[in-house]
Amino acid sequence: MSLTTFINDQQDPAGTLVVVFLRGGADGLNMVVPHGDDGYYRARPGIGIRRENLLELDGFFGLNPHLSALHRWWQEGQLSIVHCAGSEDETRSHFEAQDFMEHGGLAAGGWLGRFLRVRPDAGQSPLTAVAIGAQLPECLRGAPSCAAIQSLDDFGLGDRVPDGFLPQLAALYKTAPGVLGPAGQSALAALERISALTKTTYSPARQAEYRKDDFSSGLQQVARLIKGRVGLQAATLDLGGWDSHITQSVIMDPPMERLSQGLNAFATDLGPEELARTNIVVLTEFGRRVAENSALGTDHGRGSVLFLLGGALAGSKKVHASWPDLTHSPLVGPGDLPVNHNYRDILAPVLARQSKGVDLSKVFPGHLLQPLGLAS
Amino acid sequence: MSTTRRRFLQAATAGGAVAGVAGFSALSHVLAPILSGPGDGLTAFRPPEADEIDEATHVLNRLTFGPRPGDHAEMLKLGRKAWLDRQLEPESIDDGWTEARTRHFEALNVWPLGELLEYNARELLDQMTRAKILRAVHSRRQLQEVMVDFWSDHFNIDPSKGDSKWLKPADDKTVIRAHALGKFRDLVKASALSPSMLWYLDGRVNRRATAKEKPNENYGRELLELHTLGVNGGYTQDDVMEVARCLTGWTVRARENTRFAVGKVSFQADLHDDGPKTLLGVRIPAGLGERDLDQVLNIVCRHPATAQYLAAKLCRRFIADAPPASAVTHVAQAFTDSSGDIRHTLRTLFDSPEFLAARGGKVKRPFHFVVSTLRATAARTDAGPALQDYLLRMGHSPFQYPTPDGYPEEAQPWMATLLWRWKFALEFADRSLKGTRFDPQRLQHCAGGETGLAAHLLGRSPAAAETTALAASGQPVALLLASPAFQAF
Repeated sequence: MSLTTFINDQQDPAGTLVVVFLRGGADGLNMVVPHGDDGYYRARPGIGIRRENLLELDGFFGLNPHLSALHRWWQEGQLSIVHCAGSEDETRSHFEAQDFMEHGGLAAGGWLGRFLRVRPDAGQSPLTAVAIGAQLPECLRGAPSCAAIQSLDDFGLGDRVPDGFLPQLAALYKTAPGVLGPAGQSALAALERISALTKTTYSPARQAEYRKDDFSSGLQQVARLIKGRVGLQAATLDLGGWDSHITQSVIMDPPMERLSQGLNAFATDLGPEELARTNIVVLTEFGRRVAENSALGTDHGRGSVLFLLGGALAGSKKVHASWPDLTHSPLVGPGDLPVNHNYRDILAPVLARQSKGVDLSKVFPGHLLQPLGLAS
Repeated sequence: MSTTRRRFLQAATAGGAVAGVAGFSALSHVLAPILSGPGDGLTAFRPPEADEIDEATHVLNRLTFGPRPGDHAEMLKLGRKAWLDRQLEPESIDDGWTEARTRHFEALNVWPLGELLEYNARELLDQMTRAKILRAVHSRRQLQEVMVDFWSDHFNIDPSKGDSKWLKPADDKTVIRAHALGKFRDLVKASALSPSMLWYLDGRVNRRATAKEKPNENYGRELLELHTLGVNGGYTQDDVMEVARCLTGWTVRARENTRFAVGKVSFQADLHDDGPKTLLGVRIPAGLGERDLDQVLNIVCRHPATAQYLAAKLCRRFIADAPPASAVTHVAQAFTDSSGDIRHTLRTLFDSPEFLAARGGKVKRPFHFVVSTLRATAARTDAGPALQDYLLRMGHSPFQYPTPDGYPEEAQPWMATLLWRWKFALEFADRSLKGTRFDPQRLQHCAGGETGLAAHLLGRSPAAAETTALAASGQPVALLLASPAFQAF
């Protein structure tokens, strides 16, 4: 596939992978609540979410009301949820666990960086990957052509370009020998699209309403890039504030609102066709202790939830979990939800969908993949 | 390292990593004005005058990170052979200015190794990156720097894995730099026993203490596939396993297990598989212990596939992405005849008619593009975040390639980086790139005017179409740097 295909076609042939990292250890148990398990309510008499307040998912699990904006995507079969998900890192340290998850174990570079390097169509787009924010996350380490951006203006040539410059540059590349000629033409085409994006005021489609927070405005930038057909293969966003050691709901409700409303606006704005080619992955470094602590919070644990939105995955409308029964099954360590689904096995089918023929053993070295069957 | 500096280092590291880092930043701040004194000055020079790239420009293009003002005239004065003789004997070239400029990256010379672990890993990566950029820009031992870059990819290590974070500076110094123009076998041996490589390719956990234990074949495979014979070099899966067996027992003291002598490499006989082995048809008798390594090196370094594979790689770097078979055969012969003497092999390559004829047909990788810009314009840089950010955006940050095959050499994988190159050219020419400065008026004056400057940057007189384009562009220096001709070499 040539760069020209990327830029000139009406559709990016490969879609975009959007990775949202919930930093701080998000409590999966209060996000996707096992209301069918009494053990949950016994372990969390103060902070457990009562069944009548939940949005029903599959008769056993219910969605936290602060995630209600995601419920319609579940009902439409666009949202998949995996519970007891995580990595094998047992340190319960934010830094260690994030590092482990982003590198993909004891491996060099980040898993997303390796994915973008080893996929068969690697390095063909000038805007392969963006990280929304001030710096690149570890998972993007080693990616070809990636940039941390605060705004779309970062991509343009700036406003000090003299009028004559681009026409003259185009003239020189038109007659350039070898591979440089066509590459120059493609880069100029990409530049035109970016400049069209930055010169217009963006109006989200389908009355999508983005909130004013950083997470939502980051998603809006990503939506513009996806619709602008600039060849974006991956975008990463961070959403922090999950470290709920005390007063669980005071800490967690605001980021849950940010997450669900942001994703809802994003998916609405993209519309069914774009959403089908876009895979959104939401993960966190670890979940939290099953039992609440004396400050009505929870401490660092192991398994949590992982959300997958879009990508025409045709969700089964059942939460994937090998549920442990919180009363009778032994929990792990100091009383934590086990990790029954390695995050790599959940990502594997998504990555395979994003890039046909990618060698996943190079993306996740040292891990024997057992890809999770996500379809219904 | 002098005693005073040594004592300073100890005092700084004794206070922990943070104090150490702060100490060095303060030191470099004090030294910066002294170090940026004369020694790299820009004076009037004569740019190339031919309509096509001449031999002098060609040799400079291929064997350096791009000509600086005056390099072309110097090459003409010395003659190609004498210039090459000097570059092949880098110790004969006084490089004091570069040494002074990079000396304050203390961490890169720390000894014993364990002291590296006192540093913040990000700070180490930053120091390594800055030193690499500054040496590429300023060193007069340019062929040495080009070969360091070549071997850094050939024996690629991404230090983000495990203790490599701290140990890569030692690999850069005692493996890559020490042997860049030496004997290939010495280079492979140093790499095989480099603590950073033992971490990166899992050699440190390659062991067979019991009959049940299976050796880790990660390093063994890459040794054959990437470092010596090449993927089509005729080895089998059995050969990979046999190399792994031969190298069982070599291990590194890890940070998580000890505070003492971290990074020390040792051979543990009780973890070694001491049975007989057969590698590439050659029998290695039982009971050789750690001497198995030398047997492996003898077999793989002398193998004809290794000569062929390395010759092809060198020809790809110096002649063309698809080099002529005649040149590869010729260079492979030189490698074999000299028992893998890198200097001799390179001299043969550089004297070959294929090399001398292949002008301007390669595309610079992003690091080369950025460094050649700074060299051509006699720019000064702190090699800091603004510059490093461009390398990151172009996907070519030093020491950050994740897989063991190293950054690709061919043009195609880099074709998507033009946009960032143009942005860099504009920002640089506009003198708004933070931490990097040059004087466009003085440069143009020293080059003898507009046409002289264009000829200097293009390595030949500008064509009529180029002269027209430059005049109409409103920003001729940026257009020259962004032009297709400046991307090629």
